[in-house]
Amino acid sequence: MKKTKRFKKNTKGSKYSKLSLFQKPDLKYKSCPLSGKDAPKIDYKNLKLLKRYLSDSGRIMPTRVTSVSAKKQKEMANSIKRARILALI
Amino acid sequence: MNNYEHTFITKQDLSDNQTKSLLNKYQDIINKNSGKVLITEEWGLRNLSHIIKNNKKGFYFHFKFEGIGKTVEELEKAENIDDSLIRYLTVRFKKLDLETKYFDKKDYY
Repeated sequence: MKKTKRFKKNTKGSKYSKLSLFQKPDLKYKSCPLSGKDAPKIDYKNLKLLKRYLSDSGRIMPTRVTSVSAKKQKEMANSIKRARILALI
Repeated sequence: MNNYEHTFITKQDLSDNQTKSLLNKYQDIINKNSGKVLITEEWGLRNLSHIIKNNKKGFYFHFKFEGIGKTVEELEKAENIDDSLIRYLTVRFKKLDLETKYFDKKDYY
């Protein structure tokens, strides 16, 4: 009983106050923001969504920055290129 | 039957009657070549993000239609010759989304 209480105290504090070896580390990778149930639909007409995944100079952002899954990144790249053909972006 | 989306951009200096006749002309081409137009959208005059053939602005028109390969072939054959068009794009979809309209609101400008 006492042990579990101490555990809780540790997790509540900041990440520098880690003491226990058995504590789980913080998650290193974010999950994909475009997969899942309520994810927005990728479309070449949805400019608001596409602009979020472009850099300031208009280049496509890499997966290691945005953590989009490989399947969705391919869809995203295709729809950005379609929007470029129509001079929307 | 396949599902397609088609968008074309016309030049800026056309009158209302000219753009409407263009729209009717391409609708007729689709309907005659064993296709069927489901929805037409007008996105209005928009700024192009980069200059294409010395044009800075253009009128956007958008079709959603059913058809076969020959429908698209005939449509693009007619558009290739047309001088008043800047650019066009045809995309094939497994399922068409007929409800959401991305270019209704003014804040997309």
